[in-house]
Amino acid sequence: MSFHAKRRHFVAGHIDRRQFLAGCSATLALGLARPALSQQQRLRMIFWGSQTRAERTYAAADLYMKAHPGTGVDGEFLGWNDYWAKLATQTAGGNAPDIIQMDYRYIVEYAGRGAIAPLDDFVGSTLNVADFDPLQVDSGKVDGKLYGISLGANSVAMMVNKAVFEQLKLPLPDAKTTWEDFSKLAAEITDAGIRRGFYGAADGSKNEQIFENYLRQRGKALYTADGQIAFDAADVAEWFDMWAKLREAGAVPPGDIQELDQQNIDTSLLTQNKVAVAYANSNELVGYRKLNKDPVVLANFPRLTAESKGGHYRKPAMLFSVFAKSPNQKAAAEFISYFVNDLEAAKVLGTERGIPESSKVRDALSGTLDETGKAMLAYVSGLGDLAAKLPPSPPKAAGEVLIAFQRTASGVAFGSQSSSDAAQAFVTEAAEILKRKT
Amino acid sequence: MTEAAQPTLAAGGESVGRASGWSRFAEGSGPGYLFLTPWLIGLFCFTLGPIVYSFYLSFTRFDLLTAPDWVGLENYRRILTEDPKFLASMRVTFLYVLFSVPLKLAFALAVAMLLNKGIKGLTLYRALFYLPSLLGASVAIAILWRAIFSADGLINQLLWSLFGINGPSWITNPKYALWTLVALGVWQFGSPMIIFLAGLRQIPQDMYEAASLDGASAWRQFWKITLPLLTPIVFFNVIIQTIEAFKSFTPAFIISGGLGGPVNSTLFYALYLYQEAFSFFRMGYASALAWILLVIISVFTAISFLSSRYWVHYDD
Repeated sequence: MSFHAKRRHFVAGHIDRRQFLAGCSATLALGLARPALSQQQRLRMIFWGSQTRAERTYAAADLYMKAHPGTGVDGEFLGWNDYWAKLATQTAGGNAPDIIQMDYRYIVEYAGRGAIAPLDDFVGSTLNVADFDPLQVDSGKVDGKLYGISLGANSVAMMVNKAVFEQLKLPLPDAKTTWEDFSKLAAEITDAGIRRGFYGAADGSKNEQIFENYLRQRGKALYTADGQIAFDAADVAEWFDMWAKLREAGAVPPGDIQELDQQNIDTSLLTQNKVAVAYANSNELVGYRKLNKDPVVLANFPRLTAESKGGHYRKPAMLFSVFAKSPNQKAAAEFISYFVNDLEAAKVLGTERGIPESSKVRDALSGTLDETGKAMLAYVSGLGDLAAKLPPSPPKAAGEVLIAFQRTASGVAFGSQSSSDAAQAFVTEAAEILKRKT
Repeated sequence: MTEAAQPTLAAGGESVGRASGWSRFAEGSGPGYLFLTPWLIGLFCFTLGPIVYSFYLSFTRFDLLTAPDWVGLENYRRILTEDPKFLASMRVTFLYVLFSVPLKLAFALAVAMLLNKGIKGLTLYRALFYLPSLLGASVAIAILWRAIFSADGLINQLLWSLFGINGPSWITNPKYALWTLVALGVWQFGSPMIIFLAGLRQIPQDMYEAASLDGASAWRQFWKITLPLLTPIVFFNVIIQTIEAFKSFTPAFIISGGLGGPVNSTLFYALYLYQEAFSFFRMGYASALAWILLVIISVFTAISFLSSRYWVHYDD
């Protein structure tokens, strides 16, 4: 009857460390074409991610449309950095998409400002989270109300180049490895001199996730529940000192080499073949394996001492939220429910967004998982005493504190400040950022 | 809008019939405005509108998610009295302007003078030398620059193979990062060069002939003839390039991954402004930063104009 235009979205994007990679970063990401059915309602969805993620997401959306004639789903995806600028602009204009991929870091901010809708009313009817671990449902709650549905669980992890360890006949880091063991291993790799400018491990001093892991093992945390920093200058100074020692021992590269890492998979020093160990999220294993010729395996972050535990935690890799001004909230909730529960959809989505939260989906997938999926599942579910409970989601200025942290750590790596001066300056700056209103 | 307003304006209060209104409109400046409409819409919707709105926003706290909240001069007060990043970005930007503009203009003038020697294939060379300026502000060149000046980049490979020097990673070392950006700026000398070339063509050849007869060296001819007669062009280029340099954004954004690193060594003013607006969602604060940049650029332009009568020579 009418010509059905195919919708295509071309969005160039940076690719962040949180995302999987389809290939290379500056490529134009092409959304899949989708037929516009004679729709009674049309849902819009926005997410960050790579081409791989987009293909899987659109395939799941197509399945949904087949099962629900009368509802159309349009999608759009961007790189991590561009995503938040665009989403904020759309939210300000009141025209954000109905379904919004949300990050644990931003959910407090968006929920607190009434930009995303509480979903509690839909739970049990349209929105089925019965097969979720209740703790993981809670990860989408802000002030007791449910604002996001976790799309998969992950944890931070080390990406280890297995070939290098095998070549040098060194043991792979495992659940017993301490930072001291790890430093020795890394220094040995550097000393072996596989090639010019090859180091044992990446410098993690400006990596907030390892820092958090380190703090948790010391019984501290990054933030308190009311959004204040939960560590002091002494913690930070010791942290910087630890990395300074690794740097002196040659276990990690000097500052200017580390800075080549722009915190995404393709510029990671592991991918650039300059180190044997880098730091990321477990679900990024897919991307790392795609871009590295050598086999990459997962390992947990080292323990401070043989007895330290609880540094890790399982977290929602990302969530789906619903725009507060969306006229189609019920339909959006229904789509999300389908997305996290339907077994057909689960097959095309796989573990690309982390380990699915629904136990039924996990069971259904377990037989069909590829080696990478199995490795991720084994890692996330096998953390044991290394993992403890999810910390409260960070305050809204956390992104800015992170940038200050990275700058300070770089300054120490370049030798422009001593560890203790830098630590003091950072703690002061972080406190100022958190209390700033304008 | 224009059409409706025109008859009243033209008639000066008289009551005008439809037909005569139309003919007045058609004979007056009406059609002109009609043809200008697309541009006028662009001006009011996309230029003047946002400018006025940003001025309003600069007195508010606005995070995009909730409505702007009036805070008076608070943004300006904070920027000018207690913002270390403002100072850091000013320092970086001033260093950049101070070094990139004179170097770029000197380079542009030198190349223009070479091209003005009446060589064959001038148009080709002119196009070739202009090419970097066309590409310079683009993302691709910034990425290329990063590749050339990184640890395993072209520069270090040359240093290693020619001199056996193990060079630093220029682009990611706070000591050198800004200077690689200055080099990138200087490399885009194309547009001032073209303008210099046009200026050089305007200088009467008989002056040089007379000077040669009097035994003036080429060096002396340059200082006594070329440069003085070229000062209006220099003046124009200084103003344009200074403004451009103050607004410089893309190279630093791409090369530092948007963060102005390492250790804020490439935190250009425009990059800091962008960060405040789109990373931290402080639109009000960013608007205030933008207006301060406007004031700074205006002051520099005013200084250039005021000083111009002491060093710019016009023929008449």
